[in-house]
Amino acid sequence: MAALDEMKMRDGVDRETVETVQSMAGTYKHGWETDIEMDFAPKGLNEDIVKLISSKNNEPEWLLEWRLQAYRRWLTMESPDWAMLDIAEIDYQEQYYYAKPKSMAEKPKSLDDVDPKLLETYEKLGIPLKEQMLLAGVEGAEEGRKVAVDAVFDSVSLGTTFQKELAAAGVIFCSISEAVEKHPELVKRYLGSVVPQNDNYFAALNSAVFSDGSFVYIPAGVRCPMELSTYFRINAENTGQFERTLIIAEKGSYVSYLEGCTAPKRDTSQLHAAVVEIVVLEDAEVKYSTVQNWFPGDENGKGGIYNFVTKRADCREDRAKVSWTQVETGSAITWKYPSCILRGDDTQGEFYSIAIANNWQQADTGTKMVHLGKNSRSRIVSKGISAGQAQNTYRGLVSMHPKATNSRNYTQCDSLLIGDKCGAHTVPYIEVRNASSRVEHEATTSKVDDDQLFYCRSRGMDEEEAVALVVNGFCKEVLQELPMEFAMEAQALVAISLEGSVG
Amino acid sequence: MLEIKNLHAELEEDSEVKILKGVSLSIKPGEVHAIMGPNGSGKSTLSYVLSGRDGYEVTEGSATLDGADLLEMDPEERAAAGLFLAFQYPVEIPGVGNMTFLRTAVNAQRKARGEEELSAGDFLKVIRAKAKDLQIDADMLKRPVNVGFSGGEKKRNEILQMAMLEPKMCILDETDSGLDVDAMKLVSDGVNALRDAGRSFLVITHYQRLLDHIVPDVVHILSEGRIIKTGGPELALEVERNGYADLMAEANP
Amino acid sequence: MMPRAKLKAQKRDAAEVLLKSRAVPAGGAWITKARQAALSRVSEMGLPNKRDEYWRYTDPRRLTDSEGQAARLHDSQGELPVFDRFDRLKVVFVDGVFDPAQSDPLALEGVEIVPLAEAAQTDLHWARDLYGTLEARAQSPVERALASLNTAYATEGMLIRVTGKPTKPISLIYQRSSEQADAMVHHVVRVEAGAVATILENGPMAARFNQVMEVEIAEGATFHHIRAQGRDHERAGAAHLFVRVGVDAQLKSFTLTANGALIRNEAVIWLDGADGSAHIAGATVGDGAFHHDDTVFINHAAPRCESRQVFKKVLRSGAVGVFQGKILVDQIAQLTDGYQISQSLLLNEDAQFLAKPELEIYADDVKCSHGSTSGEIDPHQLFYLRARGIPEDQAKLLLVLSFLAEALDEIADTAYAEDLRERLEAWLRRRG
Repeated sequence: MAALDEMKMRDGVDRETVETVQSMAGTYKHGWETDIEMDFAPKGLNEDIVKLISSKNNEPEWLLEWRLQAYRRWLTMESPDWAMLDIAEIDYQEQYYYAKPKSMAEKPKSLDDVDPKLLETYEKLGIPLKEQMLLAGVEGAEEGRKVAVDAVFDSVSLGTTFQKELAAAGVIFCSISEAVEKHPELVKRYLGSVVPQNDNYFAALNSAVFSDGSFVYIPAGVRCPMELSTYFRINAENTGQFERTLIIAEKGSYVSYLEGCTAPKRDTSQLHAAVVEIVVLEDAEVKYSTVQNWFPGDENGKGGIYNFVTKRADCREDRAKVSWTQVETGSAITWKYPSCILRGDDTQGEFYSIAIANNWQQADTGTKMVHLGKNSRSRIVSKGISAGQAQNTYRGLVSMHPKATNSRNYTQCDSLLIGDKCGAHTVPYIEVRNASSRVEHEATTSKVDDDQLFYCRSRGMDEEEAVALVVNGFCKEVLQELPMEFAMEAQALVAISLEGSVG
Repeated sequence: MLEIKNLHAELEEDSEVKILKGVSLSIKPGEVHAIMGPNGSGKSTLSYVLSGRDGYEVTEGSATLDGADLLEMDPEERAAAGLFLAFQYPVEIPGVGNMTFLRTAVNAQRKARGEEELSAGDFLKVIRAKAKDLQIDADMLKRPVNVGFSGGEKKRNEILQMAMLEPKMCILDETDSGLDVDAMKLVSDGVNALRDAGRSFLVITHYQRLLDHIVPDVVHILSEGRIIKTGGPELALEVERNGYADLMAEANP
Repeated sequence: MMPRAKLKAQKRDAAEVLLKSRAVPAGGAWITKARQAALSRVSEMGLPNKRDEYWRYTDPRRLTDSEGQAARLHDSQGELPVFDRFDRLKVVFVDGVFDPAQSDPLALEGVEIVPLAEAAQTDLHWARDLYGTLEARAQSPVERALASLNTAYATEGMLIRVTGKPTKPISLIYQRSSEQADAMVHHVVRVEAGAVATILENGPMAARFNQVMEVEIAEGATFHHIRAQGRDHERAGAAHLFVRVGVDAQLKSFTLTANGALIRNEAVIWLDGADGSAHIAGATVGDGAFHHDDTVFINHAAPRCESRQVFKKVLRSGAVGVFQGKILVDQIAQLTDGYQISQSLLLNEDAQFLAKPELEIYADDVKCSHGSTSGEIDPHQLFYLRARGIPEDQAKLLLVLSFLAEALDEIADTAYAEDLRERLEAWLRRRG
């Protein structure tokens, strides 16, 4: 019976997809803006702004110094040009580096103190902020799983749900500014230990001006009692969002973390430069899932988020495991390579990715699997879909160091083209420095199969539905890695992102 | 039900290749017609032209289903109008679950016809019953569409789709190809169970044997893009005994 | 990290120093023009630098230094050179200089063949339409300044025009006599419409070499190219193959490399005409201080073309194998069929395989794939062979040869393939 029930759920999800597709007529769903009074730092970037951000967050001296050091390093660096991205020059002095809803001037004690308009924003996004909300939405499901949510609105964190229940388990899940205040020893010890300040241009920028983000600490031996989730939303115009996430999984712990992103429609492009650091210790496991749905720009390529993200997990000790799953459908520019440093012996890294680029979107995304420990394993499954005038690049590195003997990597990277004005590119780097490791890389590029489309249409689906169905099939291997709630949203997103790509 | 008049079709990319050269036939509700003919006579083209596959250009003639012009419709509109083609070579769609596929198709058609969609529970009930009749197990329903299916499984899956979609006009394109005797019996029983006064069939086949199981009311012989002879079930037996050569000689003296 | 502007300045400065130290050879009008154009390309681009993305896995300094390093001569111990058993038109170069005395008379039906040194003295020659032009085109999307240097300074090479179907292959043989020679050889080949040509190349060439072969294959023509790059351990060199494939034309190129301190083989192939086909393959065996680099770029610039890249490397004891291969499919090149495989077999722990197999695709109705693997001999296969009574050494040899076979299969004429296979087997046996 179990198999059939599972089937029913799966089926429910798929129906959901189709219904959602049918119900959404054409455009970016999350493109409205919340009308709230904002408190901005002055436009532009200099040491005073860095100091201001630090003082707004009541940060200790060491963190201010750390930020200033990053800022000075950033000044000496160049914006990277190796990605297959055509980016208009970014004027870093024309951005706001700090924006905060005025009602947040005094930090709310609980969600009840949060401006109802902000909560309304999240309700519109479909995020259950209130505790005890039932999720899943599967027919007949009496009780969904609980998900603790931290919501970041422009520069600041709004509050984290389920604090008490998590605290009982010893889990810390709060905004990073709160963590700086309450757990300075943890932050000081791990911040920048996976992604150093000068790792790259955008990481340096983030280190200087990061405003908020989430902090997760799972104590030794604890299996986090619920999924943790952060929702990011850029609301204010000309505002950069620079969140910083730090996750620490102590020995033998487990956590699944979800991240979602949206932004309103705007003519001007907006900057997003985030850093995510994950430290995974002995026998611990972290699963990190992202559905990135920032505003992609309109159908003429106007506006949209510039998304420059550095995400890295360090499997620092033996048998640590990390799994990245990403569904990248938004942003005008995506520059993102969630990576795994497989330092310990018998460590495991996984990367599952769907990247969809339609209209004028450009995506250059992939992963790095750096094998340092013996018997380490990694697996990469990447599905890229290009439509319209978009360019979509998979860029990845698999590196087997001399001491990483008996390690394995398997990479499968497939690209699908819809229309003859887009591009699909594959740029893998494979570096094998010992003989006993085995590396396998396969990549294919093809167009949506006409026979499959015809078959679907002859069964009554219209062309867009047929494309959505076939593309969802193409992505299946990755979609099934997502937690159920995200899988539904992701399937719907796949379909929505491809609207207007056929016919 | 289905009215085909003087249908001419050629290859889209090469108008020199004329495949259908004036096919006419009329199928009334509840009737089963068979089209037989040698390889290359245009049998499969007829099924593709009727179901709207790209690659063929109709240059003359008409095809209507209950008075509606089929040739003007997109493939999915034809399906919603009640036309069903059981493919000779069912297509594999990796990653798409068979259930998902069917559910999506059923509800798309229901919606197009202004009917209410089937709930997950009702859908499951219906499909389980129908799958059982065709000896399709839960595993086959869960697997991706046609991927890794044997020849017989693929054809049974086509009939299951037919049973679920409840079309009024079914075209079976060489449904017997690649089937052993047991599988043919199973598939035929599936088809026969669907026969009723309101539903018509066009059975395209090269051999007579399928027609032992699905007994037709009318048999047409297609040769070089034309129907050269029409008769009752006995015509199929004649072909079985004497082959196509005599009939063709008779048609083109 | 070095700022981009600074790197560019450094590369240009290095080029300036080199260009000042060398005089442009004297010659007739057509070649002088080509050489001057190449010089200005070098000044603009600068010399290759190990910080260039394009030289990520191979340090170019041994190739760009003003002086080459000495390399000892290899003792062949009486073994006959490769291709020796075949009837062919022998064209011999010693340390990169054409040696008429050892060569056959340059006469073969259906072929016009003239030494570059001779043609360079005339003011007009058919080769002016090709000499340096394919090299110039190959400077985009990545710069290959070494090839431009060759166009500017080479005085040796052959200009070969094939108009018919010659009865035997043209065999370019590169012998060495000096431990110091620094050779630059530049060949131009035009295979006229409907013609069929085979060019064989073998021998170690020189202590350091920089070679360019520019090939135009006209409509419906066929060009087979089989190359065996000698065995001298200490050499360093770069060989460039630039090929334009016309409508319905065919290219098959195969390279065997055994040893060499640093060998970089670059190939740039343009499928310019519809229905063309290009196959390029390489088998490499190396041990010890061996660095071998295959860098291939195939541009599908017309519809319905097919390309295939097959590269296999067997590496041991510190040897490094590099593969950089790219398939670029232009928007116009619908119905492209592109395939690429690069694989390495690492026979002991400290060998390395570094690969960057790329696809860049702008047309939708295409079938493109690539695969890349690295690993040791499969222990299950080895055990299976041994369980059937085959001694371990022999079993390994069998497995290594079967690994290389897919590349050798790309040679159209099996007699040449068999000759090369025997060399490979001997090489492997000598190393046990």
